[in-house]
Amino acid sequence: MNFTNDTKELISILEKSLDIKDFTTPKKNEISIVVDQNNVPTILTYLKDKGWKQLSMITCVDWIEENKFELVYVLFNWTNGITFLVKTKIERENPEYISIIDIFPGARYYERDIHEFFGVKFEGNSDSEKPLFLELWDDKPPMRKDFDPLEYSKRKFPDRKYDVELSKNVVKEVIKEGGINERT
Amino acid sequence: MNIFEEDLNDTITFWEKIKNIFRGKSLWMLHYCTGCGAVELPPTMTARFDMERLGMGPMATPRQADVLLITGYLSVKTLRRVIYTYEQMMTPKYLVGFGSCTLNGGIYYDSYAVINRLDYYLPVDLYLAGCMPRPEAIMNTFKTLENMITKGEANGWKKYVENYDWYRNNQIRSLGEVYVKDEFHE
Repeated sequence: MNFTNDTKELISILEKSLDIKDFTTPKKNEISIVVDQNNVPTILTYLKDKGWKQLSMITCVDWIEENKFELVYVLFNWTNGITFLVKTKIERENPEYISIIDIFPGARYYERDIHEFFGVKFEGNSDSEKPLFLELWDDKPPMRKDFDPLEYSKRKFPDRKYDVELSKNVVKEVIKEGGINERT
Repeated sequence: MNIFEEDLNDTITFWEKIKNIFRGKSLWMLHYCTGCGAVELPPTMTARFDMERLGMGPMATPRQADVLLITGYLSVKTLRRVIYTYEQMMTPKYLVGFGSCTLNGGIYYDSYAVINRLDYYLPVDLYLAGCMPRPEAIMNTFKTLENMITKGEANGWKKYVENYDWYRNNQIRSLGEVYVKDEFHE
């Protein structure tokens, strides 16, 4: 961890005041913290004051065995080039969470995206129910682990039927003619 | 005077044959590309392979174009726009499917957003195998298409008019609704 003194101070302040346990550095110049659900807006506001002014993205991870969704807020600081990941876990049934558009207005579209692909509802974001990428979607959200894309594709988009025996015979004929060397 | 049976059953008139020869000599390709195949078209257009040797040129608007190329995978969202585009084109119009994605889904065979076969929704005159096909293959395809048009074999647009109900049912089965609705058109 080759961080400057400011960043070390910030990390110590976060540890003392909000008792955050999991500090990891997945990559160089990247800090990852796991926080409680209720502390996320506080921490995001604090970090925005300290210079992490850009919300690079919000993403969601489906932990189906734990029955949880994990929301990851990726913040970036343009003065020292350090990325901050703020992670929090929410329930998987009827997932709901607080919107952060009053802190970062750019989160509006990321929250729409997550609502569309994972089904998480964001309170306070009036646009979050609108469809963004998928048009006329009539199934469960497609990025969840229990969604089966192959089954959906077979049901919706008919496939071309092939004669397997015929294709095998064609391959044998090609091998006889010497086009392909048969592997022994 | 010998009368051949072929001549009696020939449905193409003399002027139609003349028209077909001229149609094959000047094809305007709609500059609309989906997926990865668009990468292969700049080399085909520019100096090394030089598409204009065949009398083909890119065209920016569907109402002046003759050839529509579906270059690569086709998501359901794009398919709606492609149907709009195809129906805007003037007859005669020809449609060429590039690569394995238009044939049978290719590497996107299990995707929830990508269709698996193109000729189920729109009439395809010619398929081009490969992932992606090289510019030589594309030039070969254009030459084949020209020969097909000259002989009067590229009749996809007639099929689309005759079997419109079948195509329309397939489109509605996969898309739900062909009408494009999004927040930018409200």
